[in-house]
Amino acid sequence: MSRTTSARAGETRSGWLFVTPVVVILGLFLVAPILMAFWVSLSDWAGRGSPLSGAVTFVGGQNYTDLLGQDSLARSDFATSIRNNFYYVLLVVPLQTVLALGLALLLNQRRLKGLSFFRTSYYFPTVTSSVAIGSVFLFLFAGSGSVNALLKLVGVSGPNWFADPRGLLHLLLGAVGVGNGDEQGPAALTDHGFLSLSWWDWLAGPSVAMITIIALVIWVSAGAYMLMFLAALQNIPAEVFEAAAIDGASTWRRTVSVTIPLLRPTLFTVLTLGLIGTWQVFDQIYVMSKGNPSKTTLTPAYLAYDSSINQGAWGQGTAISFVLFAIILVMTGIQSWILRDRDKPRRRLGRAQRGGAGTGGDVGGYLATAGRQQR
Amino acid sequence: MSQTTSRTTPYGDPQDAGPAATRAAAPPPDEAKRRVGKIVGYVLLTLFALVYLFPFVIQVGTSFKTDPDATNSPLNPIPSAFTTQAYQQLFQQDFGLWFTNSVIVAVVVTAGRVFFDSLAGYALARLRFRGRQAISLGIIATMAVPGVVLLIPKFLIIKQLGIYDTYAGMIVPLLADAAGVFIMKQFFETIPVSLEEAAKLDGAGIFRTFWSVVLPVARPALITITILSFQSSWNELPHFLVSRQSPDLNTLTTGVAGLLTGALGAGNRYPLKLAAAVLMTIPVAVLFFVFQKRIIGGSLEGAVKE
Amino acid sequence: MSTRTPRPRTLRLALIASTAGALALTACSGGGGFDSGSGGGQTQAAAKGPVTITFMITSNGPADVKLQQDVVSGWEKKTGNKVNVVAASDINQQLTQGFAAGSPPDLFFTDANVFPTYAKAGNLVAYGDQVTAKDDFYPGLVKTFTYDGKFYCAPKDSSNLALVVNTDMWKAAGLTDADVPKTWADLETVAKKLTQGDRKGLVIGDTRDRIGAFMKQAGGWIVNDDQTQMTANSDANLTALKEVQKLLQSGSTAFPKGVDSGWGGEAFGKGRAAMTIEGNWIKGALKSDYPNVKYAAYELPAGPAGKGTLSFTQCYGVASASKNQAAAIDLVNYLETDAPSLQLAKGLGVIPPLKSAEAGYKAEFPDDNGFLAGSSYAQGPVTVAGMDPVLKDFDSQIGSLQTGDPKAMLDRLQKNGEAVLK
Repeated sequence: MSRTTSARAGETRSGWLFVTPVVVILGLFLVAPILMAFWVSLSDWAGRGSPLSGAVTFVGGQNYTDLLGQDSLARSDFATSIRNNFYYVLLVVPLQTVLALGLALLLNQRRLKGLSFFRTSYYFPTVTSSVAIGSVFLFLFAGSGSVNALLKLVGVSGPNWFADPRGLLHLLLGAVGVGNGDEQGPAALTDHGFLSLSWWDWLAGPSVAMITIIALVIWVSAGAYMLMFLAALQNIPAEVFEAAAIDGASTWRRTVSVTIPLLRPTLFTVLTLGLIGTWQVFDQIYVMSKGNPSKTTLTPAYLAYDSSINQGAWGQGTAISFVLFAIILVMTGIQSWILRDRDKPRRRLGRAQRGGAGTGGDVGGYLATAGRQQR
Repeated sequence: MSQTTSRTTPYGDPQDAGPAATRAAAPPPDEAKRRVGKIVGYVLLTLFALVYLFPFVIQVGTSFKTDPDATNSPLNPIPSAFTTQAYQQLFQQDFGLWFTNSVIVAVVVTAGRVFFDSLAGYALARLRFRGRQAISLGIIATMAVPGVVLLIPKFLIIKQLGIYDTYAGMIVPLLADAAGVFIMKQFFETIPVSLEEAAKLDGAGIFRTFWSVVLPVARPALITITILSFQSSWNELPHFLVSRQSPDLNTLTTGVAGLLTGALGAGNRYPLKLAAAVLMTIPVAVLFFVFQKRIIGGSLEGAVKE
Repeated sequence: MSTRTPRPRTLRLALIASTAGALALTACSGGGGFDSGSGGGQTQAAAKGPVTITFMITSNGPADVKLQQDVVSGWEKKTGNKVNVVAASDINQQLTQGFAAGSPPDLFFTDANVFPTYAKAGNLVAYGDQVTAKDDFYPGLVKTFTYDGKFYCAPKDSSNLALVVNTDMWKAAGLTDADVPKTWADLETVAKKLTQGDRKGLVIGDTRDRIGAFMKQAGGWIVNDDQTQMTANSDANLTALKEVQKLLQSGSTAFPKGVDSGWGGEAFGKGRAAMTIEGNWIKGALKSDYPNVKYAAYELPAGPAGKGTLSFTQCYGVASASKNQAAAIDLVNYLETDAPSLQLAKGLGVIPPLKSAEAGYKAEFPDDNGFLAGSSYAQGPVTVAGMDPVLKDFDSQIGSLQTGDPKAMLDRLQKNGEAVLK
């Protein structure tokens, strides 16, 4: 045997050996659960003993049809959770992106005094636990809490945030005289609907209670995305701006027409991570509202958990998980299609100019958000 | 807090006011305009800093208040009568136990992740073996699976393996993470091969090369992984909801979440809840301030994007 | 980290060992494995010698846990067994996970709401007929814990709703004993009189467990007597919901959230409510959290159809997966004798489940007539398997009763309930 082949064999052996622990753990706790869940979602397992025992029978798509097929409480709950989460995503993703970008641009000025202080204050919430932050916001938005005290100072009597199930859109429509600004809308919208919810209910918008959770999430996650934008900003070569400056474009113009287009890859990453994260909102709901008031903060992730663990409807809970998985895939797909790079055939996210030793801006940011949103 | 030095600005010219000044195309801005822009920028930054810091100030202040004081003057962070009652109550409950559990879990998970992730990262970056590509892809694919979707199934698997409601069930599933493997792999790819060649010529085996030559060079990445692992396992909630049920295994996250959404009669004891939040934030905050250069700086160094 | 490098071979072994170790951890049997899913309700073989029983309870604080431990210590001394009392933070979640994992606590408090769901899934042992004191229980309680014709578990205690009044505020508003509300109209009047600033005259919980009392007073209820049909959309129920809506809209009444509280007792204790409708448990909560609040409890006012209140109860569930069933049932038998049940009742302020303990209870709590008065006509909870999510959904609707449409809420409850009863 020549030296090289033995070295080769050694490398193969070691290679496999080195990856085994990770492969085993990820396989056991990420891949196997998917298979197990798929089986449970097709079975009538009711939470006693093992789902793999002989007493459990195959029921086909029963759990899925209960969820999507016929009018039932399960279906209306699911539709409600999808509606809530949809409005949540609709507000959180753009707002956190804009806030993160704004903060990054502000911090990217020349000779900024106190840069590190500002950067740290915006980033700090990202490293704290969602449970701790949740408790702070529960206090801030309590009926007799800080936010209402602040509103009182300017003469506004604030709502009872966490107890207020009224939808924002309903309130706005009510203000312009559609419906009575509350439960009952015009008959044209209340008599018909989709998936057990009337059109009027679909149009509710996020409830006042959900707004508080939305505010919390934007406040927390903007810091992580800000860091990603900052990293990208610092990778933009200075020459790019010199041309624009010679043209005499104002700062604002330069930001809009030069800087932001160059941030496109990062923007793409931020939006994708935001979308994936926001469709799975769980921690904040568990800590702050448990789906109350009137199910207006119910989200698919929490509903899946609640159906399985609190109501023993395991098949339904896992079915919800799979439908949620499909939603995330589809949404991410649609979004990357909309944002696809039409000018360049290269669809890779912009490679960095400097191959320096780095933990990677996007990866770092990804992890900062991953740390809070997914494992 | 340290000042960061010598940043290169992307802007070629000296007139920078951030996006605050909204103007259409204009003649080159003069000194006065620039100054106004600068001031507006600072005002905005300060406003946001207030929005970001004030909740924490209120949190700490309120935790030293009495219950009525907390609800009567929610905007004033200074207690009218300073009391550590909330903290005493916390320790009469099982707070110490929760803290211990969180430490045990976070430390073991961090150690495991650093070791396993760097091993796998090294193999995927450097060792040539059949199936490497497939494994790389597989690991990246797992990153795309939304964590929350796996909550219930993970419980089923943990239960099936017979480690439900044990430290093993809480720790083992977290011992490796795809993102960590991926970061290590990226880093090892930037290390010059010559280092390892030299070690090989000295007759060192693969593991020894990895252990005594490559790892010491990879310190920055190791520190990053350590911080991220500690932070994520310390702050983890859903996994500990489904991997255990007995109160003895409560971590800070599950214990405090129980306080917040507790049963009848828990009431709105804000100082108690906020004191719990303060205490559970301290360890990660310390870690953050000690390593903030690495955490923030790390992601600002040459960004390796994928 | 040491940089001492062992020989490659040993290292490789160490590596294999560490992976194997992680796997070995996962392979040790701990109640997982492939057990058969059968065995609903049959008794397992008893363990030999002294055993340790895990007893999961719900509590309002450390005092409750200590009380429970004190009470079971008598049995520990008598039998030589040990009891490990565990206070649950979220008992439903913990039991569900325990059942699924095959390692539930041996003995646990089971609320009447979830009892049928557990019984149907085969998680409970139907040991009711083995209880020595079974003929001494109030018949209503036995009925509550009977599922499919089998008496499943021994009732722990019961409580009824009463009108709890802050006596200082009552006097300050110029009210006397003669003003204690006897009818809905009276209730509206005194609630209005007691409303002042950010204090409401009346605070009631926003669930069927409080609003249901108004349904009874109007002559309605969610299901018919033998729980085979939904009667949610009856006119009587609509009358009841409209009455509560009227109270809310008049500004004299609020739900707990409206006065920044978790439940009626907290609003009452904090002085944000002059009256509330709660059960006996409010006594313990006020004693521990708001010791200075003076109060009295009165029978609930009557509605158009007469008197009505709700009773709540829990039982001692024994897990069918438990290895210590015999010992657990023996412990229940001990708890269902006069002295321990009175000791618990005194400590928690609840009504013992035994008829023979009634005299002792009355002697202990002469002021509790307001709670006791309803015992003869109180309505127990709905106990239909699978109904819990439907009722929870109704609760979530009640939250917006002030501005919502009561008819739509009842129709929705009717429709969802019928789907369960089908």
